[in-house]
Amino acid sequence: MAAMGRGLGFAAAHDVAVPYIDRSREYYLAMGYPKPYEWAHFAEVPFTALDKPLHQTSVTVITTAAPITPGKGVQGAGAAMNPAAAFHEIYSASSGDAPELGISHLHYDRAHTRAADQGAFMPLRALADTAAAGRIGAVAPRFHGVPTRYSHRLSLKKDGPELLSRLRADQTDAAILIAI
Amino acid sequence: MGLIANYLEANGIATVVMGCAKDIVEYCGVARFLFCDFPLGCPAGRPGDRASQTATLELALRLLESAPGPRTTVQLSERWSDNPDWKLDFFNVSQMSAVEFERAREEELAWRKPPPKAVGD
Repeated sequence: MAAMGRGLGFAAAHDVAVPYIDRSREYYLAMGYPKPYEWAHFAEVPFTALDKPLHQTSVTVITTAAPITPGKGVQGAGAAMNPAAAFHEIYSASSGDAPELGISHLHYDRAHTRAADQGAFMPLRALADTAAAGRIGAVAPRFHGVPTRYSHRLSLKKDGPELLSRLRADQTDAAILIAI
Repeated sequence: MGLIANYLEANGIATVVMGCAKDIVEYCGVARFLFCDFPLGCPAGRPGDRASQTATLELALRLLESAPGPRTTVQLSERWSDNPDWKLDFFNVSQMSAVEFERAREEELAWRKPPPKAVGD
């Protein structure tokens, strides 16, 4: 197949979305963990249409990135996997005065990126630019951090309601969720 | 993030997920997904490139306002590299040398419970 497509401008066979579910299953199986992670999976997906134009909409960002905190080890650009930097409860912080954030507690592609530029994983600055340009109504007063959990139940039963409560308190209409 | 997105959607908050792991987000199913085909860690655009980050966010906003229904995925057209070989590397046992694999295993065990012992060990 590859030979047939070579003169037609076809992409390489592996130039597709990386199969992370398969990769992680095989990776951990090779390390001796026989039970694969059970990824969230739904047949029915809820949908809320925006009920006002975007230029009247208050938008927040929800992230799994963590505020860089002294005493929690190396957390900045290029840091090795650092579970000590993880957080375990939802946090909220001012969108206008956001702390420096890091992703050293998460698995990301450390071979090809270093988390050196927060703008690549946290679009608050770009969002503020769109608000200044009148593209959105406002950046919500707070952005929110949600912990990465192994337990889907805790995410749904604890984090979901808590985040909803905070978004409603801020009169937030829409959320951009960042899956690192 | 898919679970959280769905909880918010079910309760009247419109959402868009920005991410690099297409299979994981689509397997979950979310209302709106902006797929950024970059290495994990760059779901909001190219590092060090403000124009890329602005364009990525703009696409997410367009998706937020115009998605016709749930499971709407839009892919950022920007490519990480003309060479797609970076896609072969992450968590890919078949690409790792024995030394690399052992180093990765040690890093994993530094923070994770060891695997169960196989029968017969």
